[in-house]
Amino acid sequence: MKARSAFSIQRDVVFAIFVREMISRFSTYTFGNIWLVLEPLMMMILFIVLFGARGQGAYGFTEAPIFIYTSFLTFRGLWASTMRQCASARGGARGLMEFRQVRLFDVFLARTVIEGGLFLIVGLIIALGLVWLGYDPWPDDPLRVLGYCTVLWLLAASFGMLSCMLGSIAREVEKLVSMLTMPLLFMSAVFFPMSIVPRDYWGYLTWNPILHAMELVREAWFSNYTSPVADFGYLFAATLTCLALAMSSYRLTWRRIVAQ
Amino acid sequence: MIRFNDVSKYFPTRFGPKYVLKNINLDIPDDRDVAILGKNGAGKSTLLRLLGGVDFPNEGRIQSNRFISWPLALTSGFQGTLTGRENVRFICRIHGVKSNRATEEFVKDFSELGGSFELPVSSYSSGMKSKYSFAVSMAFDFDTYLIDEIMAVGDAGFKKKCENAIGNKRENSNIILVSHNMNLLRRQCNAAILLAYGRAEFYESVEQAIFRYECL
Repeated sequence: MKARSAFSIQRDVVFAIFVREMISRFSTYTFGNIWLVLEPLMMMILFIVLFGARGQGAYGFTEAPIFIYTSFLTFRGLWASTMRQCASARGGARGLMEFRQVRLFDVFLARTVIEGGLFLIVGLIIALGLVWLGYDPWPDDPLRVLGYCTVLWLLAASFGMLSCMLGSIAREVEKLVSMLTMPLLFMSAVFFPMSIVPRDYWGYLTWNPILHAMELVREAWFSNYTSPVADFGYLFAATLTCLALAMSSYRLTWRRIVAQ
Repeated sequence: MIRFNDVSKYFPTRFGPKYVLKNINLDIPDDRDVAILGKNGAGKSTLLRLLGGVDFPNEGRIQSNRFISWPLALTSGFQGTLTGRENVRFICRIHGVKSNRATEEFVKDFSELGGSFELPVSSYSSGMKSKYSFAVSMAFDFDTYLIDEIMAVGDAGFKKKCENAIGNKRENSNIILVSHNMNLLRRQCNAAILLAYGRAEFYESVEQAIFRYECL
């Protein structure tokens, strides 16, 4: 054994958890890693068919498949799964806590990195599929899209961490958070742009920071769409608050969680 | 030297805090193999977990400058869905060991698992599991090994192998052993800690500690 710096220990641990998660997450399925792409693809096809059946696929600035692609994949990949993976980190980390160098925070880090990477890879694969079908899925302003996506990703990770910490105090939090996912899908402007929502309801819906992220991503993706409500300052402030709360609750409770 | 400074540990229960260890002051010398004695619930495993850094004292501090192994118990942190080899790789990675392959082969040989080494750990019987986790810990060079009841399992041949392996490690490391098998403690250790009534006492002689323990 030779002594390592704190940083290199953490780097080794995060990498080890990363590999372990990647193996154990998909090896139990018959089709393995194909599910990565297949699952969001099936959901997208379902929604595209629904939109098509309604006879009104587009909102004037893009075609239905591209619209679903930009918003649904972002919401699912960055918000829903990052948040859920972080919130359930406590259960997944149970066996890992036998080693002193492994901390719950490393599990959060590894899972967040995995979800971010998966989002990029799955997005790219589906985009190539769309190109093959003759659509144009590329964002008009890729750097801004990536920037907004990063903020949404951070928001998801910190909200997940926070609910994991609160869940260690009261298990009910886990129930509440999983109940929240479905309504949020409909309240975050995933299947519609805010421009078609009546002005009266803007006041209620814009409390939701995810909605701002979705609108900002959409704005950056389609140069001919301008969101009536998107506010980057609000999204950024919400993310920062969430992150600060998550970090401080982690600092307060991690020893207790380890002992459980 | 591992030093306990006024260490207290309690578990919150609905009847209020239940102290397992209270105001422990203790020095564990580097060159002694220490047996930990105590009745069920006296805090033997808790002491081992505190030493292993996977649990923390509510008051006080534990100071040490040694590489201490993880607490080696039957339910060590192996993921059931991963194979024996993959679990070894994981442990190599978190310990910063780059030569995965040599460690994997060592564990495969030592644990006598053969083909089962490539199967998920959850499919192992408890005897196989104990062999496996013992082999894994022997693959790393720690200064202090924490062993919790694990040598009691396994067949006679393997027990002998374990004791030999520990004997080889003894040149530059020591062990801290929890067991209810007095003969094993007599053979393996040359000092003892007796846990009783929330206190801990260090004994230079194992015989004396065992005598005191049997009189409790």
